[in-house]
Amino acid sequence: MGQLIVNGLALGSIYALVALGLLLIFNTVQIVNFAQGQLLMLGAFIGISCAVTHELPVAAAWAITMVAMALVGIVFMVLVYFPLRGRPAFLVILTTIAMGIVLENLALIIWGPLPVSLPSPIHGPPLRFAGVVISMHQLFIFCTLAVILLLQFLLLTKTRFGILMQATAQDLHTARLVGISVNRTIAVAFAFGAVLSGIAGLLVAPIFLAEPTMGGSLGLKGFVVSVIGGFGNLPGAVIGGLFLGLIETFGARYISSNFRDAYAFIVMIAVLIAWPRGLFGEKSSEKV
Amino acid sequence: MKIWPILAACGAVALAVPAIAQDGYIIQLLNIAILNAIVVIGLNFVTGWTGQINFGQAAFYGLGAYTTAIATKAGLPWITTPFLSALVVMAASLMLGLPTMRLRTYYLAMTTIGFGEIIRLIIVHWEPVTGGTSGLRAIPGISIFGFGPQGQVQHYYLLIAILALAILIAARIRHSTLGRAMIATKDSEIAAEQSGVDTVRTKLLAFMIGAVYAGLAGCLYASSIRFISPDSFSSIQAILLMTMLIVGGMGSIFGCVIGALALTILPEALRFLGQWYLVLYGLGVIGVIVLAPGGLASLASLLPLRRASVN
Repeated sequence: MGQLIVNGLALGSIYALVALGLLLIFNTVQIVNFAQGQLLMLGAFIGISCAVTHELPVAAAWAITMVAMALVGIVFMVLVYFPLRGRPAFLVILTTIAMGIVLENLALIIWGPLPVSLPSPIHGPPLRFAGVVISMHQLFIFCTLAVILLLQFLLLTKTRFGILMQATAQDLHTARLVGISVNRTIAVAFAFGAVLSGIAGLLVAPIFLAEPTMGGSLGLKGFVVSVIGGFGNLPGAVIGGLFLGLIETFGARYISSNFRDAYAFIVMIAVLIAWPRGLFGEKSSEKV
Repeated sequence: MKIWPILAACGAVALAVPAIAQDGYIIQLLNIAILNAIVVIGLNFVTGWTGQINFGQAAFYGLGAYTTAIATKAGLPWITTPFLSALVVMAASLMLGLPTMRLRTYYLAMTTIGFGEIIRLIIVHWEPVTGGTSGLRAIPGISIFGFGPQGQVQHYYLLIAILALAILIAARIRHSTLGRAMIATKDSEIAAEQSGVDTVRTKLLAFMIGAVYAGLAGCLYASSIRFISPDSFSSIQAILLMTMLIVGGMGSIFGCVIGALALTILPEALRFLGQWYLVLYGLGVIGVIVLAPGGLASLASLLPLRRASVN
């Protein structure tokens, strides 16, 4: 029981990280990036290229991956977001999905279809606590989530950049009129969003193996979390993520592991029927 | 009316194809393309005309196909299967549509993706009935009181006739009260409500009509291809159907057919590209959305304009 809770929370932390990356982009430009899972996969594979193929220390691999993912985020913005500014949401959904297909197949060409493993950045004997085993990597996942959550909270509420982001989200044109460099703000949001999914990829790869097709289902879980928590809602994303991780772990144990991936969607549809804007509410509303 | 000569030409080409292409493989591919076109025309009701995103269309396609396959393999006469398939998808679309038709863009996209995944998981794991991942083989063919098409060419003509009927019905609905209500809902839900359009009812009807199109196409798929597996109705297929609609031209029936034909035949023609095909496919979709938002159908309508401006 305790063990299931720990495993569920570790899985949920990763979902929460994916959702936090989505949230940064959504809060700035009101776009949900359906290629977030593929960005995660890319992060995992850049890490593997550094740490496994080129045998760099894992910490260096992490640093390189984060820088590379920031660049990927900016390229992503130029290719997918700029040409579609102000177009209907479902066209943006479709372009990000198409970009996901491109990334996934490029990864298949570059790295091949075989699953690969990435070592964890920290080692050590697992902690034992009243019959519950917590591996060092799980502990590392919890700490990473906590640090990122704190940083993101401070970034969004206490810094100049966070205020610029909010202004851009509320009204792009007015933000530009008062002298905010809108494009730079958006670029930073995309870069951060990509870095966050890259980190999620680096955290996932040591638990599950990394393969080019891993992005699809992890990305979808990130959206399910965003939907449950309400798009753009910071506490919602974290609580939603942990909640989903627990549901999946317990559902797989006590109901049926065949339908593991279905629980997320069933819970999501149930939540939406009761609260059409997510449990914690969406941050922005439709403009008439 | 200038549209009639074009329609007649398309019809003539469609009827002449089996005479030119003797290859059974090509006819089989065309049959699948025609079925996809019917599904995409169904999707057009929801996405093209009513403006609601729907990634559940492949699941309805699959529900129709599996209903037909399971019913005919259990010994029911074929003639009952179109009705059974339509009933099953109508029930499923009501179940999904009633609670979710009030949702907006991203939420709707996610629920329809979720619905598709749940249906796929049920198909994959309910092995005794659905055959699991290996699918169902040797499904009885189309037979109406002992008469049915033999061979792929006869199937082709039957499917062309059904596609023509599907196009005709779609065109009639487009110009009916319901069709106008759909367009109004897409343009502005608030304005449509103000003009007395029940937008939730309109969206639900569009969703159900689209599902019935997909269900009937699924029924024909199962009994003309005679083999079904979950892969044919996965979320990848749902995305492919959506790209057919967008690449062809949203809101245009002609565009739906062109998009379905192009994106069913292209992967086979470009098979030598291997994995690169999917990379180009993704970039191509982005290219079309960015450069030609009206899809291929809008390129055709540009031609007369160009000529007029030259004169």
